[in-house]
Amino acid sequence: MTHDEIKSYIEKTFGDKLTLLDTGRCEPVFEVKLADWHDVARALRDDQTLQFDYLCNLGGTDTGERLEAHCQLASIKKSHRVDLKVVLDSGNPSLASVRDIWPAANWYEREMWELYGINIEGHDNLTRFLLPDDWDQGHPMRKNWDAPDFVRFPEFNA
Amino acid sequence: MGLIKKLPVYAEKIPGGSIVTTSVEAILNHGQASSIWYLLFGTACCAIELMCTGAARYDFDRLGMIFRASPRQSDLIIAAGTITKKMAPRLRRLYDQMAEPRYVIAMGGCTIKGGPFYYDSYAVEKGIEHIVPVDVYIPGCPPRPESLLEGCLMLQKKIKQQKLADWQ
Repeated sequence: MTHDEIKSYIEKTFGDKLTLLDTGRCEPVFEVKLADWHDVARALRDDQTLQFDYLCNLGGTDTGERLEAHCQLASIKKSHRVDLKVVLDSGNPSLASVRDIWPAANWYEREMWELYGINIEGHDNLTRFLLPDDWDQGHPMRKNWDAPDFVRFPEFNA
Repeated sequence: MGLIKKLPVYAEKIPGGSIVTTSVEAILNHGQASSIWYLLFGTACCAIELMCTGAARYDFDRLGMIFRASPRQSDLIIAAGTITKKMAPRLRRLYDQMAEPRYVIAMGGCTIKGGPFYYDSYAVEKGIEHIVPVDVYIPGCPPRPESLLEGCLMLQKKIKQQKLADWQ
């Protein structure tokens, strides 16, 4: 399917559950509501027209104001892609696990939990594997993260 | 090594004894400096230059330097590449497993002060002198094989100045 076909099909099928974002990027980017995330993910995989059977990437972003989760989906059978974005609750960042839909989500979700401090609901093995075993300095990919030996790149005022 | 350690204590008391210790020193140091076996320890792109130096074009073997895959058989550890905070305890452990006398070469900017990862990095150790004592620093990103060879020649010079009395 072409990008325009995907856009119109998703808007027709999913209604207001998926909102198209105008990012100027090549792939269509949709925003998913936090509460709908798991249902939408399952529906995107099981839909016979879309068949998003491959989870390319799942990760977090800290924009400085809010935490987001983003995800790239692809379909091997249909040769098309789509990007998704979920805005998280800043006070208590939490996301439903999609490990039961795409098994590949397992380590991505552990990474989000470890580096961004996003709690993954329904993941039964949230254990440390990227940072040192005795790490006790919080979540380093957060924008406000700091440590005694952490040096920020100096800002140049031209 | 028990006998060699006691040698300067007894030999220097007798007339002309210092000549004996000096000659023994020279022979031992020459032997050590001419057969520095280094541990295979490459963690990033510096390891490519290290491999190149070990291969035929630059021929590390002419300095008597042969790679060893075990720290028990090594005299030198060339820390070639970025040392992350997760790797740091492993580097220390390998260093502790080496038999004395042992030497460390810090190869490349990452091992000297974190290199390009000095700023904005939570994962990279800012210099391996926090982990192991370093004998020779080789700057570069990565250093060319010529730099590595010069660093090894400097280490040889350093070894040749060792005194028997300094031996642990």
